[in-house]
Amino acid sequence: MIRSNPEELVRKNIARFVDKEIIPVAQELDNKGEFPREIFEKLARMGIFGIRYPRHKGGAGGNTTLFCIICEEISRGLLSVASITAMQCLMGTNFLFHSGTPEMLDQYFLPAMRGEKIGCFCMTEPDAGSDLGAITTRATEVDDGYLINGMKTWVTDGPEASFYTVMCQTDPTKRLRGIGYFFVPRHFSGVSVSSPFKCLGTRTTPICEVAFKDVLIPKEYRLTPEGQGLNSFLKIIAEIRTMTAALAIGLQRAAMADSIKYANERVASGKPIAKFQLIQAKIANMVTNLEASRLMTYRAAAMIDAGQDALKESTMAKYFATEAACSATDECTRIFAGYGYSMEYTAQRYFRDSRFLLNGGGTHEVLQGNIARWVGL
Amino acid sequence: MNIIVLVKQVPNNTEVKLDPKTGNLIREGVDTIVNPDDLQALETAFTLKETHGATITVLSMGPVQAIDALSEAIGMGADKAILLSDRAFAGADTWATSFTLGKAIQRVEKFDLILTGRQAIDGDTAQVGPQIAEYLDLPQVTYVFDIEKLDTGYVQVKRRLEDGYERIQCSLPAVLTIIGGRSKPRYPEISKLLSACTKRAPIEVWNAADIGVTTAEVGMNGSLTQVIKTFAPKFERQSEFLEGSAASVARDLVERFKRNKLI
Ligand SMILES: Cc1cc2nc3c(=O)[nH]c(=O)nc-3n(C[C@H](O)[C@H](O)[C@H](O)COP(=O)(O)OP(=O)(O)OC[C@H]3O[C@@H](n4cnc5c(N)ncnc54)[C@H](O)[C@@H]3O)c2cc1C
Ligand SMILES: Cc1cc2nc3c(=O)[nH]c(=O)nc-3n(C[C@H](O)[C@H](O)[C@H](O)COP(=O)(O)OP(=O)(O)OC[C@H]3O[C@@H](n4cnc5c(N)ncnc54)[C@H](O)[C@@H]3O)c2cc1C
Repeated sequence: MIRSNPEELVRKNIARFVDKEIIPVAQELDNKGEFPREIFEKLARMGIFGIRYPRHKGGAGGNTTLFCIICEEISRGLLSVASITAMQCLMGTNFLFHSGTPEMLDQYFLPAMRGEKIGCFCMTEPDAGSDLGAITTRATEVDDGYLINGMKTWVTDGPEASFYTVMCQTDPTKRLRGIGYFFVPRHFSGVSVSSPFKCLGTRTTPICEVAFKDVLIPKEYRLTPEGQGLNSFLKIIAEIRTMTAALAIGLQRAAMADSIKYANERVASGKPIAKFQLIQAKIANMVTNLEASRLMTYRAAAMIDAGQDALKESTMAKYFATEAACSATDECTRIFAGYGYSMEYTAQRYFRDSRFLLNGGGTHEVLQGNIARWVGL
Repeated sequence: MNIIVLVKQVPNNTEVKLDPKTGNLIREGVDTIVNPDDLQALETAFTLKETHGATITVLSMGPVQAIDALSEAIGMGADKAILLSDRAFAGADTWATSFTLGKAIQRVEKFDLILTGRQAIDGDTAQVGPQIAEYLDLPQVTYVFDIEKLDTGYVQVKRRLEDGYERIQCSLPAVLTIIGGRSKPRYPEISKLLSACTKRAPIEVWNAADIGVTTAEVGMNGSLTQVIKTFAPKFERQSEFLEGSAASVARDLVERFKRNKLI
């Protein structure tokens, strides 16, 4: 039977969207630094936010591989649009989807799939980043539900969000074993949202602090059963890391394509700079790292799709692909030389945006520690 | 209401290259797209579906890879798709193409409208739509950019002219060839794209036997014209700068005009 290959078909169609709708306005969007509402709505119309969820429950019926393809392609256009997309597809809606009641799905999940509501993910606190066991936001059981108290920071999309998936401590003596996820709509009394941070890169992605003061939520808004929070976290972290690696691949491709184009056009000492071996070396490294990043990332994605544990593979993919993105974007600014320092060109944006990838899903120092531990150190 | 939309998969315009030796299009590794005017025809059909209700069948003749064009049409909202694919169809000129598509259309149960793009960006003939109308003995309106009214038995459309437009009323069934209209063609929905890739997808592939034609009637054999040579025109413009005082440059210029018999 003759049928299209789903991965190629999706990639081709998203790529076309990126080429037509994102790349032409990417610099301008980044300059303005506003939430890219129009593009967000177009992505919603294409049904992209449901890519990971089954069709009969309001999703598009895809998988992690397709999700990564979409993240990669959008990131090639503008990383901050891709990061917003990834948040809406994965962390922002995942726990709601798996544990929300039918009413919660109707009220929040389906509107999120349609792009009418935005969800985000609150783990980090001012005094607890890498060390999640140290979080102090408390969920205290009361007669008619839970009281949430605490402060979250670095909340991607926080200023635009309608609901938050909040990691809370239920029993401080248990540290990581006491954590759990709770669902908090923004309009509930006691939720306050700071103004957006001024950030180095990914400027269309708004980030802020969210404070919870005696926020009363109903019982069913607890998204993970007692003692299951850590497991749920470990289940999603492989996918977060694989997705981040896919974002890194997209950024590498953007930096590489612009580097090659510029190297062919720019003439120094009577020839295109692409003819200098040192420029060739930079580009050869980009090409090679990109290839390795792809192999690592899509292997991890395929493992997740096959229901296998991909924690190690996804950790190494995230670490490698992100370092490769940092290197490619750095080299890109050097190939552009003086123009790499100018805000008029793309190289500076890639360079700034690459730093976004370093922290989410675990800092590289933490990841390197994990990798070393897996070989017995 | 049943609408048939004809679509063609074409190489992405910006990347077309000719093999310098054979003059043939280099198709390997070239991104393919749905012909832009055909996207407009599809968008017109979807708008009619939204406003009047319709079942949309998309028809394409091409190699098996053209399945992507049909999957995309399903992704945008088409109900069914048929790919005419057979080695025997290869090398068809516009006449053989129109004949083959016409034969296939006669096998599609019942239709009120056939929409095609005005022309394909790889051949640029604008012949297939009108030829199909002739073959099926249907009325046709070309260069349609707006469908103003659709009622039982007739359609009222605007037809683009160089310096304005014509308003034309035409009985149904009819063939309309479409050019860019008011609305931008939509992007496909991911869930529909994915379902187009499944076995259950409403996509059929028909060969010569399925549409009841002999191999002599279609493809290269059935073509009335043969392309002898394809070549890329050379754009060689030579500029020369005349130097010196204004007066001497002017004298020099007039001299050259005379020499080249321009004045
Ligand atoms: C753009 C952006 C968006 C973000 N979005 C979100 C979001 O949506 N939701 C959310 O919850 N969080 C978000 N974060 C927060 C992010 O997850 C944290 O920044 C990250 O977990 C690191 O925490 P930290 O910044 O507090 O650094 P710290 O944990 O304080 O780390 C400081 C330094 O110490 C090192 N370090 C810490 N612990 C170890 C260790 N065990 N071994 C070795 N080195 C160590 C780190 O690697 C780092 O170099 C975002 C951050 C950024 C920059
Ligand atoms: C902040 C800033 C301030 C500046 N201030 C001044 C100033 O005050 N006055 C002034 O005159 N200029 C100034 N400049 C310009 C600066 O001197 C140039 O950027 C520098 O000389 C490089 O030239 P370019 O940017 O044209 O890069 P190019 O020469 O085009 O180089 C492009 C790329 O090709 C490589 N390349 C070029 N030639 C070779 C080669 N032979 N072998 C190998 N690789 C090669 C380069 O290393 C680079 O990677 C400034 C630049 C910046 C960024």
